[in-house]
Parts: sequence; structure tokens; C-alpha cells
Amino acid sequence: MNAHDAILDDVAVYALGALPPDQARAVREHMTTCPECTAEYRRLKPAVDAVAYSAEACTDAVSGAVVPSPRLKARIMDQVRGSDVPRRLSNVGEMRAVRPIVWPAYAVAAACLAVALVTTAFNISLNEAVNSSKSQIALLETQAKMLHLKVAAQSIELADLTSTDSQHYAVENGEVVRHGNRLYIAMQSMSAPPRGKVYQAWIMRKGGTAMTPSVTFMPDHSGVAVVHVPAAASQVVEVAVSMEPEGGSKQPTSKPAFLVKLT
Amino acid sequence: MARVRTKDAAAFETLYDAYHRLVYGVAFRVAGDAAAAEDITQAVFLKIWTAPERFIEGNFGGWIARVARNQALDSIRRKSHAEAELSDAMPANDLLEERVFSEIDADSVRRALAQLPADQREPIELGFFGGITHAEIARRSGIPLGTIKTRIRAGLGKLRSALEGTVTV
Repeated sequence: MNAHDAILDDVAVYALGALPPDQARAVREHMTTCPECTAEYRRLKPAVDAVAYSAEACTDAVSGAVVPSPRLKARIMDQVRGSDVPRRLSNVGEMRAVRPIVWPAYAVAAACLAVALVTTAFNISLNEAVNSSKSQIALLETQAKMLHLKVAAQSIELADLTSTDSQHYAVENGEVVRHGNRLYIAMQSMSAPPRGKVYQAWIMRKGGTAMTPSVTFMPDHSGVAVVHVPAAASQVVEVAVSMEPEGGSKQPTSKPAFLVKLT
Repeated sequence: MARVRTKDAAAFETLYDAYHRLVYGVAFRVAGDAAAAEDITQAVFLKIWTAPERFIEGNFGGWIARVARNQALDSIRRKSHAEAELSDAMPANDLLEERVFSEIDADSVRRALAQLPADQREPIELGFFGGITHAEIARRSGIPLGTIKTRIRAGLGKLRSALEGTVTV
């Protein structure tokens, strides 16, 4: 092979487009003055074009390619007809910028899944909130019932204490009131017991020989205490109050503040 | 192309219908990805619409195939941040180029390529679709550079002869 044969080989590689830019430039310059190389280029270039045609899109198994989607033509023609190509677009990145958004199926599926997850999470959160609200409502209803009962009891107490039918037994700083079968201790100006101490009521039942412990209580900040004694008033013959340790005592441990017979 | 130069959209549509399979096929072969091939095809045709003067005369099919190849190679290089070794994305066509084959179809070319010896066909396909230089082909195959160049030339010569026997010249 002589030196020119080597250049003819370069012409073939140039026609294929596989020469680096500097060598391609040298071959082009050489062909301007070499009829033989120019002829070789003319001979081989159509074969290179044919190589390109071998990749023409089809659905056969040889190329492995498939035809482009019809949307591609619509996309391009939309831009052409709409003069939506105001300047020369130099790269694919810019082309992507003007490409209409066409959501692929997987993206739609992912979006749907995300929406479903968010909705489910929201529903769970909403259910938790509803359940919490239901619990709060139930608690408030219970508290309301208790308040209602307390008010009703206080109303009864008030009615009992003020009724002309009630029997009042005066004691120091207060009285014991019996209305029907209910029994109350109503005190005022009662001194607060020392820390660790409470007041405790005692009752003597009919036929009894010893005082029975009853409720413990504390006067409010103004020294008032109205206490319902949980016992059938008709069966009680004596009522007493003493100061006792917190939690109450089984037997009186201090001198009674008062002791009154219900006669 | 003369009507496309006057911004005739209908003429451009005809051009698209005639060459989109070629452009897409080359882009797919180089890029190896259908979505990328569509982007490249779109880029090629919009470039032709905006700069039709880059094609002067001669073999339009060969020119647009080369534009598609170069566009695809540039796209791949941008993604890999590699420096351009080959290709001018939209080369002005060469007045030396002629439309030699008045009728050419992919099947005929594939058959002709298949008849080439593998040691000639492979460097040709690597050089065109792989977008690598003859030196890189030699390095990858472990064959001397001079041998690679000779095989490319011999293979292209045989391909031309084979096509002259199967398609209209």
C-alpha cells in the first residue's frame, strides 16, 4: 500500500463520519486538489447513506426499532403551523421545553397512587379526628349529666333546707336538717382544719350502741359546708362531727365539734 | 425543500411523512431509546423548518440521516457530559453528494449489509451508529488502525456494489 492508498482509506472513513474533526478537515482540503480521492468519496458516500437507511424505522425484528408515535407528528406540526418556533432551537433540551406535556401511563398511575395515598391518609386522619371528637363529646355528655345531677341534688338540698316541712336541729355555727328520710349538716363560719385533718360526720342509728362513721368533708374558703349524710334519716337518732385524720376514722379520735340528738 | 424554504407547512408535512421513519430510525439506533429518539426526531425536523438553507441540493435523504445521527450523538454526549469528538449537529451538505440510488429501501440495505463479512460490517456500523472514531474502533477491537480503515473502505465499496445490483441506480 502506498501513501495515497492510505489517504483513500481515510476518505472512506471520512465518508463514514468516523474521522476526528482535524483529520476530516485535512481530508476535505486534500480532496479539493485530488480527483482520485474525490471520485472515491463520490463512490463510497452513497453506501454510507445506505447504511443510514438500514435503520429506517419499522416494526421488524431486524432493527428492533418501532415507528414513532402519531403524537410526534402532531406535536411537530402544531409548532410549525402555530409558528411556535420563533428562533432556531439548538438542542433537544430546548425542544423538550416546547414539547406539550403528554403524561405517560406510568406517570398517570403514579399520580393516581399518590392521590389515593394522600386521600387514604387524609381519611385516616379525619377518622381519628372524628373518633377523638366523639370521645370528647361523650365525656362532655357524662360531665353534663353529672353536673345536671349535682344541680338537681343541690336543688333538692336547697328545697329540703328551706322547706317549712323540714326539721332543723341547731348546733354551734350551723344546723342539722332532716327532711323526710334525708339528712343534712349545714354549717357556716366553720374553721378550716389543720393540714392532714378533715371533718367527719358520725351517726347513731336506732338501737345502736356506738357512733357509726359517715362522710368526711371540708368547709369552703368562707367556712360554709352543706353535707348530705348518706343514711336513712328516720333510722338516725344522733349526729356528731369531729375532726379526724384525712381518709376518716373508724372511731372518733377527737372531741366532737357538736353532737345533736334528733328527737 | 424549495417550498419548505418559503415556510409552506403543507410541504413540510409531506417532507415529514417521507423522512420521519428514516430520521426516527437513525435516532433510535444511535440513542437506543424510543423517547429519546422522538425528541431527536422532533429536534431535527424543527431545525429543518427553522434553517432549511442548510440543505443546498443533492441527496436529501443522506443529508437528513446525517443530521439525525449527529443530533443523536450530540444528545448522548450532552447527557454524558462528554466532549464532542465527531459530528456537527446540522452540517451543511456537500455539493459532492449525489442521489445515486433513485430507489432505496431499508430491507435491501439490511440484506446487503448482512452479506458483508462481519469484520467489515461491524466497523462500519460502529463508525456510523456508534459515533466513535476509527481510532476508537481499532482500540476496542484490538485491530490495527490501518486494518480498520482498509476494512471500512472495502466494506463500503462492497455495499455500494451490492446495492447497485438490487436497487435502481
